[in-house]
Amino acid sequence: MPATAKTYSLGTPVEIGKIEHELKRLWQEGEGAMSRASLMNFAVYSEEPGSLQNNTQLMAQITENHACRAIVIEADCNADDDLVSAWISAHCHVSSVGSKQVCSEQISFLLKGGCTTQLPNIILANLDSDLPLYLWWQEEFREQIDPQLWTWVDRVIFDSHGWSDFRSQIRLLELIQEEANQHIVLCDLNWTRLDNVRFALAQFFDHPASHHRLAKISKARIDFAPGFRSTAILFAGWLAAQLNWHIEEVKSPCELRFTGASPRHIDVDLRERNGEAVHEIALTSADVEFRITYADCGDLLEISRTQKSETRHPQLMPAGKNDPVGLISEELIRGGPHRVYLNALNCVRDLLCGGP
Amino acid sequence: MNRASDQPEPNPLREGLAARPVPQPCSIVIFGATGDLTHRKLVPALYNLAADGELPPGVVIVGFARRDKSDDEFRRDLEETTRKFSRQPVRDEIWNAFAQTILYHRSEFGDEAGYKQVTERLDEIDKSHGTRGNRLFYLAAGPDQFEAILKNLKAAGLNQTCKGSWARIIIEKPFGTDLTSARELNRAVRNSFTEEQTYRIDHFLGKETAQNILVMRFANAIFSPLWNTHYIDNVQITAAETLGVGTRAGYYEDAGALRDMVQNHLIQLLCLVAMEPPTDLSADSIRDEKVKVVRSLHRWSRSEIAANVVRGQYMEGNIHGEPVLGYRQEQNVNPNSQTETFVALRLFIDNWRWADVPVYMRVGKRLPKSATEISIHFKKAPAVLFNKDLRDLNVLVIRIQPDEGISLRIHAKVPGTSFRIEPVKMDFHYGTSFGKPSPEAYERLLLDAMSGDATLFARSDEVEEAWAFIDPIEEAWHAKKDAPELCFYPAGSWGPEAADNLLTRDGRAWRRL
Repeated sequence: MPATAKTYSLGTPVEIGKIEHELKRLWQEGEGAMSRASLMNFAVYSEEPGSLQNNTQLMAQITENHACRAIVIEADCNADDDLVSAWISAHCHVSSVGSKQVCSEQISFLLKGGCTTQLPNIILANLDSDLPLYLWWQEEFREQIDPQLWTWVDRVIFDSHGWSDFRSQIRLLELIQEEANQHIVLCDLNWTRLDNVRFALAQFFDHPASHHRLAKISKARIDFAPGFRSTAILFAGWLAAQLNWHIEEVKSPCELRFTGASPRHIDVDLRERNGEAVHEIALTSADVEFRITYADCGDLLEISRTQKSETRHPQLMPAGKNDPVGLISEELIRGGPHRVYLNALNCVRDLLCGGP
Repeated sequence: MNRASDQPEPNPLREGLAARPVPQPCSIVIFGATGDLTHRKLVPALYNLAADGELPPGVVIVGFARRDKSDDEFRRDLEETTRKFSRQPVRDEIWNAFAQTILYHRSEFGDEAGYKQVTERLDEIDKSHGTRGNRLFYLAAGPDQFEAILKNLKAAGLNQTCKGSWARIIIEKPFGTDLTSARELNRAVRNSFTEEQTYRIDHFLGKETAQNILVMRFANAIFSPLWNTHYIDNVQITAAETLGVGTRAGYYEDAGALRDMVQNHLIQLLCLVAMEPPTDLSADSIRDEKVKVVRSLHRWSRSEIAANVVRGQYMEGNIHGEPVLGYRQEQNVNPNSQTETFVALRLFIDNWRWADVPVYMRVGKRLPKSATEISIHFKKAPAVLFNKDLRDLNVLVIRIQPDEGISLRIHAKVPGTSFRIEPVKMDFHYGTSFGKPSPEAYERLLLDAMSGDATLFARSDEVEEAWAFIDPIEEAWHAKKDAPELCFYPAGSWGPEAADNLLTRDGRAWRRL
């Protein structure tokens, strides 16, 4: 089957009106040798030139663990003439049971000209029925998108890390939420980056003997890589939202002071250092320090709890991968609403928006 | 599923995280630590939990066995087998950290002093690792050692807990060999541990597909109205394996297929298929409903047993094109052995939902395929319109292993101008839809026991009720007079003809696997 011969190629060019027909043919040709699988429609939108190939490469990896119908779109909104080109292909992998090829289909589109008007129809016309629609929006949000699109999207995936104007983007997301009657789940990859670190920190406090320590946290240090201040602030926002802290003072861009319920002060230091997006966390609660740091090998977290009377037993935990495939896979596997994200965001919204 | 009452309040930092809460740190003491189970299943499972970040920091594993070994020797042995049997490749960094938590304690199971020493060691661990008196004891030794271990644990005070800590015991099957011995074992367990502290492990229940039976039944409205005698014609449960008795002859000669598989695994699967919806997802609510199914199993009189239960033993034959020995020629098997390697049963659940629906079960060694599955065969549609000549029924198949998944057979018109109808299959494969491999059953069950969730473990009354059902069959088979005959089948076949006859006389047939 020519379309599967090169996984990263865009596959077979097809006429827009014949996509379903050609997909059917693709599967008929490969019948017996492979199984088509799909748990979701996964649309990716980018205006970056060459993104079609790059995203196809990502899809080849993502579909190893997440069977889907991929709809990969590259848009050139500045082109003079309106033009839509399409290709179909399949990403095939040997299944986890090891005996058969499991394949996800991909439809690729190159849109030229009036992108925003073409986009909803391009997506809606090519959905695999009855499956949820996840949309990975790799651009900044704009107002001109047909609201109907958002009513069909179940999860919108974006990365606030790259936003140039946080305030306006959040406002647009809130509009999108309104248009979708609040049913759309906002999936921020900047938040996903924190998943493993949050998990590593949370497990310290699963132990009932550590519960009371949450109420005694007086200091937190968050080390982040250059360019990832927003990720570190989101982490602080998560602690604040979950532990009922309120921002009291922004002493400097790197020194925040929160007030806890007791009332007591909690000082949060943000330190910029080379490394992973957020690569070390230290929480001080009375005489105990809880620390999470990336191990030398890079894909493990070393976690430890240090107290005077106890021996330090550092433990290793998975750190996950912070590349796009790792983040998207983490996001797709999770499901459910992102209430906790929104709470965290609301706690530190002003800080993320550049004030006060 | 719910957690035990001794579990703490929720941790606010857990909200929204996909992974389940990490249990409290504890010491895990494995009795029979040099045995196969520890090497092939338990330690690889614990390693995988550690590698996935699900094992609590501070967990210490203490191997308790009779052989002379140092901590380092024990770790080296375990490393070798974990590399061989682990679900995921062993990473040196993780293994090295994990291995530091493994200790070895040499003692006879009946030696009181050995338990005193282990107590002292556990107390030290509590101080050094913050395990705070939480202990999980795993009986992976032979069942003949259970009583001595339980008695000595009690004598050493290891069954006791202080405020905020817990002590739990996991017991491996067999849970007795008949009702009397099961009661005896339960009494011995109760003398040392309460029912709440006791976790009887049945690894079939830790399998993803077994857990999915409840989700499929109670999270999908479409099945609920059909799940009863009005729409279901029969239920079939098959647990087939191509393997012979292998190195287990010592145990198997006494146990046989009925005790080894039916009393526990197959009856547990039947319970999940046949139980009423529980009032909630707590361990006891689910187990209350399961035990009602076992209690409702129709008890055959001795004369009825021959007509409803078939026992067989494999003879020489071929598996995958290779000649294999008959059971009686296997190593350590009595050449005149009467042990069954195959059982087929026709049984009924005497309750409102399942009245008159036969359940056919079969389990056997040296069958053509290795497969465990449950199939629900629905009644025919009314014999009018299309249905006059249709022979096949709608069948819902739940594949437990391998190739876990669910399929549904329906009827469809064959394209063309004539009106031909043929069965077609809608198929869901876990491996195809979800790329992520499922954790091993022991991973899930060990984590559940550490978390105090007994949902997937058998309760004493379930075990006893299952033996109460099995015992009359065993008695009939071993009666001096008129005992039902042992049938023979060639290895590589689907069992003796008598097993097919159980169904053909009802106008039915085993599902073709």
